[in-house]
Amino acid sequence: MDNTLFILLSFVLLFVIIVVFALLLIKKSDTISILTGTLNKLKTSFNDLDEQAKLIVKTDLELNRAQEELDKRIGGLESLQKISRLISTTLDEDEIFHRLDIALKSDLGFEKNLILIYDKEKRIRVRSEDGFSQDELRFIVSNLEKDSSLIAALGEGHTFSSVTSPAQRKELIVGLFNVEHFVISPVLTQNGIIGMMFVGNRSNALSITEGDEELISILANQIGQSLENARLFEQVFTSSQQLETKIQDRTKQLATALEEVQKISKTKTEFISAVSHELRTPLTSIKGYAAILMTGKLGAIPDEVKARLEKINTHSDNLVKLINDLLDISRIESGRAEMNYGKCNLLAMIENINDLLTPQMKEKNITWKTELAANIPEMFLDSSQIERVFINLVGNAVKFTPIDGTIQIKAELDAEKVTITVSDTGIGIKEEDILKLFDEFYRVENEINLNVKGTGLGLPLAKKIVEAHNGQLWVTSIVTEGTNFHFTLPTKKEDVIKKESLET
Amino acid sequence: MPTNIGIGFSQDRDVELAAQSAAFLSKSNLGTDKIDFTLVFSTVHYPSQQSLPVIRKVLNNTKLIGCSTAGVILSDSIQAHGIGVLTVSSDDIFFGTGSVNDIASQDPHQAASFLAKKSLSDFGQHNRGTFLFFIDGELKNNSSFLKGLQDIFGNVFPIVGAGSSDDFLFENSFQCFEDKSLNDSAVGTLIGGNCHVGVGTRHGWRPLGKPRIIDESEGNIIKRIDGQKAINLYESYLGQDAKELQHNKRGALAILYPLGIHVEGTKEYLLKNAIDILPDGSIVCQGDVPRGSEVHIMIGNKDSCKQAAVEAAQEAQNALLGKQPKLILIIESMARLKLLGRSAFAEINQIKEIFGHSVPIFGMYSNGEISPFQTIEKFKHPHLLNESIIVLGIA
Repeated sequence: MDNTLFILLSFVLLFVIIVVFALLLIKKSDTISILTGTLNKLKTSFNDLDEQAKLIVKTDLELNRAQEELDKRIGGLESLQKISRLISTTLDEDEIFHRLDIALKSDLGFEKNLILIYDKEKRIRVRSEDGFSQDELRFIVSNLEKDSSLIAALGEGHTFSSVTSPAQRKELIVGLFNVEHFVISPVLTQNGIIGMMFVGNRSNALSITEGDEELISILANQIGQSLENARLFEQVFTSSQQLETKIQDRTKQLATALEEVQKISKTKTEFISAVSHELRTPLTSIKGYAAILMTGKLGAIPDEVKARLEKINTHSDNLVKLINDLLDISRIESGRAEMNYGKCNLLAMIENINDLLTPQMKEKNITWKTELAANIPEMFLDSSQIERVFINLVGNAVKFTPIDGTIQIKAELDAEKVTITVSDTGIGIKEEDILKLFDEFYRVENEINLNVKGTGLGLPLAKKIVEAHNGQLWVTSIVTEGTNFHFTLPTKKEDVIKKESLET
Repeated sequence: MPTNIGIGFSQDRDVELAAQSAAFLSKSNLGTDKIDFTLVFSTVHYPSQQSLPVIRKVLNNTKLIGCSTAGVILSDSIQAHGIGVLTVSSDDIFFGTGSVNDIASQDPHQAASFLAKKSLSDFGQHNRGTFLFFIDGELKNNSSFLKGLQDIFGNVFPIVGAGSSDDFLFENSFQCFEDKSLNDSAVGTLIGGNCHVGVGTRHGWRPLGKPRIIDESEGNIIKRIDGQKAINLYESYLGQDAKELQHNKRGALAILYPLGIHVEGTKEYLLKNAIDILPDGSIVCQGDVPRGSEVHIMIGNKDSCKQAAVEAAQEAQNALLGKQPKLILIIESMARLKLLGRSAFAEINQIKEIFGHSVPIFGMYSNGEISPFQTIEKFKHPHLLNESIIVLGIA
């Protein structure tokens, strides 16, 4: 019985244990299931996060590339501005390349830089380089000279880079310049291609972008413009130098000619002076003997002879006057004239002239007018010489003014001088004659001059006298209306003396 | 006598004139004829076999080390062409220089030991501050070399270095020792004496996406990640653009999205640039990549780079324990120069804000940076890093 009960109880206990275990297993299974679910969720989240990370990387990569390009462009623009300023502030072609040598290396940041420019014989010359050996440069130049296809393509204004070049051209340039990445751009002027600019990198870490292509293209243009400016300046400078040389040569020629003229003029003056002196002595004798004969002391003289003697006397007087004028001119020209400067009342002198020439003016019923400034001071001059000037100018006015005409003398004062104008209402002087009016022995061809004798020395002498007083004499005229002779005289004594001392 | 620092720079087109000018300027800024140490950073446009004898002659044959760089970092600018010369004159700071040649053809561990011992023997009996060295940037595996240095200097001694770089061609870099221009070499100086040295290193990149495991690697080559060809990691994120990694080696993509290796016990990820992609889809890195490592694709931007520079400077400043530095040396990845572009100097300006504008700054852009990684135990173990900035302050 006890055994049966024990077995029964054992079965019950076993059953209970099995049930408990079963219940525990069921519970564990639920937990495992929950944990498995959580783990799966975590895995999914992790994978989702990883997918998000992939998106982040792609976005980051794009942003980095954009940033890199932006940085490069900003840096490029800064370099471009700096280099442009450097090369545009000189007009010396060698200096442009010297500055490029430094700037390309330090500012652009490419491993290799090269600027090739055609010389006058159309040969390619290396003008700026960095990063190339001499052998590499020789190889590049000789290949470019042999195969002109690249230069021809550049000549059309294209810029090539390792980013945009067709494969064949890229291969050619990469091989020629020994780089992986490059930009090559023509250096253009208004006359076409004058060279090319190359930049490149061998390192893959330093690749080229389209921004670089744009930058180098602009820089090559800038270099072209600077070179063109330098060359234009060189041309202008050379022309200017040539012109200056010509001017110097011509000035030398003129100086020599002037020296020659001065020598001749001096010889002429000396000749005239000598001849005049030699002529005056026998003339004085002729005039003296004629005068003695005319007195009749040597015997009665028939009227006819007397008339002839008077003619001899008159012509001798004319000749003496001519010789005296010539002597005066030569003295003034040579600086040997002795001026007797002294105080002089100009207005009184003009009145005297009026008195002196009144008979001749009356003959032609000429009206005499004066317009003399009241404040003209006492002058310092050689009054007898200035009187000769007045007599000459007023005498000419009387001579060329028709009947019932007018002669006016005007005197004006300004700060340092008096300007005197002798005007007439005469026949006037043609412009071509005005230019020669003060030449010695020149006489204007007109009806009056044909009938009235003259030496052609009056006006030159008057001019010389005025100039000896540090003044000027000139003429204005309108044909048929009249002529105005103007001359100036300094009011200050020192101005006259200064001129005098300069001449001597 | 106080410590004097002189920095000279020139970019004259003529190499000898540039060397002479930079050396004279440095000597002139130093203000004394006694020169204890010279550091030269030169871009590869200036052949060092011509420049170094001139510099040494001007500077009275002083101790000289240096290397080529993608750019010289100065207090007032960053120059992609030129020669920079730093001179130090001090009764407090001591320098012990050494060099080792033909590293690739000998055991790197032994080569490093040789360099360390040479520098130690030249240094004499002074307090050691740090070891600064420059090594050929094209040497792909430096782990054994770094171990060799540590075995001589000790595991807690800070070692800072840089791979010499060129103008992004990765073929022309050089190292400088005395008046010799070297390749396949390492040059270094032990710095110490009565001075404090503070080092800070950061990169500024952050992990993106789910972590993956490197299943198969061999030295510096990652063969398989998560059971697939290694390149699939990039392809899954970049799609067709991933091909650029093959066509444009060390180009923008490799710089923008480096691999980040998680190192146990560290706060930061170790950055590795994909410097090449093999035909079988393997990724070639600079420096060893251990099998089983957790790897991420990393993402960063200019702001995170600049922030990293600030953090590196702050870390260096903290390590100086309040001492005002006499000189700030910067070793920065050439990739960062390319990434930051026009704003590269803004980063230097931010470093100046931390140390003060009067502290002279001299630095270079490197192909690989070597520094104690930012670990819980600082200055424990130097790593070969990529895309990082090392700020070293000497007070």
